[in-house]
Amino acid sequence: MGPKRSCRGMDKIRKIIHIDMDAFYASVEQRDRPELKGKPVIVGGDPNGRGVVAACSYEARTFGIHSAMASSIAYKRCPHAIFLKPRFDTYKSVSADIREIFCEYTDLVEPLSLDEAFLDVTQNKKGMPSATRIAREILEKIYDKSRGLTASAGVSFNKFLAKIASDFNKPRGITVVTPDDAADFIDRLPIRKFFGVGKVTEGKMHTLGIKTGDDLKKIDKEKLINIFGKNGHYFYNIARGIDHRPVEPEWIRKSIGKETTFREDIDDKTQMLEILGQLSVKIENLLKIDGRKGTTITLKVKYFDFQCITRSVTVREPIVDADTIMRYIQALLDNTEAGMKKVRLLGVSVSNFIDASRTVKKYRQLPLPFSAEIRSDSLARSLIVED
Amino acid sequence: MKFKIKKEDILDVLSKVQGITGRKSNLAITSNILIKTTGNGIKLVITDLETGFEGIYPADIESQGTITINSRKFYEIVKEFPSKEIQVDEVENYWIKIHNKNVEYNIVGMNPDDFPETPEIEDVDFFTVDSQIFKDMIEKTIIISGAPDEKRTHITGIYFELQHQKKENIFRMVSTDGNRLSKVDCIYEKDLKLPKKTGILVPKKGMSEVVKFLDSTGTVKIGIKNNNFIIKKDFETIIIRLLEGNFPEYGDIIKRGSSHAIHMDRKMFVSMLKRMSILSSEDYKGVIFNFKEDNLSITTTNPELGESKEDMVIDYKGDPIEVAFNPRYIMETMSVIDSDKIIVNIIDSEKPCLLEGENDDTYLSVIMPMRI
Repeated sequence: MGPKRSCRGMDKIRKIIHIDMDAFYASVEQRDRPELKGKPVIVGGDPNGRGVVAACSYEARTFGIHSAMASSIAYKRCPHAIFLKPRFDTYKSVSADIREIFCEYTDLVEPLSLDEAFLDVTQNKKGMPSATRIAREILEKIYDKSRGLTASAGVSFNKFLAKIASDFNKPRGITVVTPDDAADFIDRLPIRKFFGVGKVTEGKMHTLGIKTGDDLKKIDKEKLINIFGKNGHYFYNIARGIDHRPVEPEWIRKSIGKETTFREDIDDKTQMLEILGQLSVKIENLLKIDGRKGTTITLKVKYFDFQCITRSVTVREPIVDADTIMRYIQALLDNTEAGMKKVRLLGVSVSNFIDASRTVKKYRQLPLPFSAEIRSDSLARSLIVED
Repeated sequence: MKFKIKKEDILDVLSKVQGITGRKSNLAITSNILIKTTGNGIKLVITDLETGFEGIYPADIESQGTITINSRKFYEIVKEFPSKEIQVDEVENYWIKIHNKNVEYNIVGMNPDDFPETPEIEDVDFFTVDSQIFKDMIEKTIIISGAPDEKRTHITGIYFELQHQKKENIFRMVSTDGNRLSKVDCIYEKDLKLPKKTGILVPKKGMSEVVKFLDSTGTVKIGIKNNNFIIKKDFETIIIRLLEGNFPEYGDIIKRGSSHAIHMDRKMFVSMLKRMSILSSEDYKGVIFNFKEDNLSITTTNPELGESKEDMVIDYKGDPIEVAFNPRYIMETMSVIDSDKIIVNIIDSEKPCLLEGENDDTYLSVIMPMRI
């Protein structure tokens, strides 16, 4: 890939659409099984087990159920909900159909997952000047092509605002944030709605007296960077509606990770390291398949109380094998409360890949094509030597 | 034994044999030099059990005898010795005293009876070669060495054979490491007898010691006796034990076939390769050659360091060829080609590439590409 496309939006106002399917997995299930329509449907892990909610219908949401919630809790909140196992193959095929619709308008499509994507329609294949119009057409086409699935759209001049906007008027809504409304829109936005603000950051923000975008704007840059590190810079910009991130059409995998949730919480560190070792081996294989080398290792620990923390380290040597990963993971684990607190989930990921687009294969030296007899002899020997 | 030697008479040889005595063998004593008095001089004997050396040097003998002394230490002592004349005396229990009136060393020796026997080299059918030509042939072939732990004898040795082409007798040396091959010919008049019709394999290690002893003028005698390769000068002899094994059939590999012959200026090509190999590393050795009409473009891509590219105008008329090489192989070959102009014979990205000097068909280097 060439240099970043961010300059595209700097001299000209961009038109970005964020499309987000409404309760995607659950809606697909309700579409395929009409008897589920109007009922609380939860797609995800077994409520008796330790999985989580992957998606839930709007009927389920009225019970306070949301995605990423433990299935067992969802069950407590709504025991009569219908729990279904995800059918990813079906979702993938629906998702591919929807992506085709996007591509009728632009090739600048950046899928974030099966059910959401960014589109840059500043210049579009149909030469349509109105991004809102495009968004409306897309939602209609999705409805027709997918036999009744709905989506919501956010239309704005950058990714940050488009994404928040799509969530503003769900389901089946279109929210437009123009450069003129942006300041107002952000000022009134609860801090929790900002992308990148989770429970923990929200807590920090609240203690600083930041409840809305307006509050955030009042904090100076240095203070934000002091408190939130490099995210401080990001918060400073988005509070002002500045987000130059381009829509990146090819989904470039930014990290390779594996995690596992235990049947029962564990507090034995030796056992944790054993599990982390197994995860590292899986990552080693994935790295090899992709031919990638990362430089950042991240350990994810979810404690029994669902508090989730990550610890990461960036190293000079390229990370390609499980042994290297484990050398650092051990130190990272020691830097958590794992063991003192029971742990529910452990995860390992490798990111910060050495410029993936520049990864070149190593060339292999060819041997001289000597006559068969000697060649087989030297081949046999070289096989032994290499092994 | 007691003798007096002149520093200038032995300093040079002591320096040259450090390669042999410095090599670890199964016997500790091979790091020593055996010194034996002869009628009017001394004989130095050195061996690493594969390569042996004997030389006779003038000395004033006071009493006869034989000693062995650590080669490295003896060399250093002689090198730093303040006077031209050095007195060497055998003391009891193999101790050796090296002294003049101001300086005195007492050195632990070893029992000369433990020193390995040197092979008999009487009655050898010697054949005379020009010393400089022979040196040149060795230098062109030992540039190709295998890995340090290489065991295959066709890689650890240089292949010597005799050929009869166009009514001429050719004495040929061939060397390979499995990825590249060098062949160098010399026309000779007299018969050289090889023990086997198929040729012999002489260790590259030993041959690299031989180079040190070959002068740029005069002649040397070479011969074979009882599985030993012998190189003889007037007062110095090197004996190398032959390797056992066969050399692969290489005839097809050195055929020029239907290749494109591209003529280039050697120095310009080498400078270009040097520039293009700055960004190559152990992991990313290869550089890519793009031959297009009248243009050669070489690129290096190393994800850890970056990229480089250089173009050169060449006389090439064929279809474009993209081929990768280890530039070190080509540069090593270029360093032993004497001609100012070279010829690159290239077929495609997977066939051997032949390199040679213009107007010189005695030397040919074959290099295999890397697979992209």
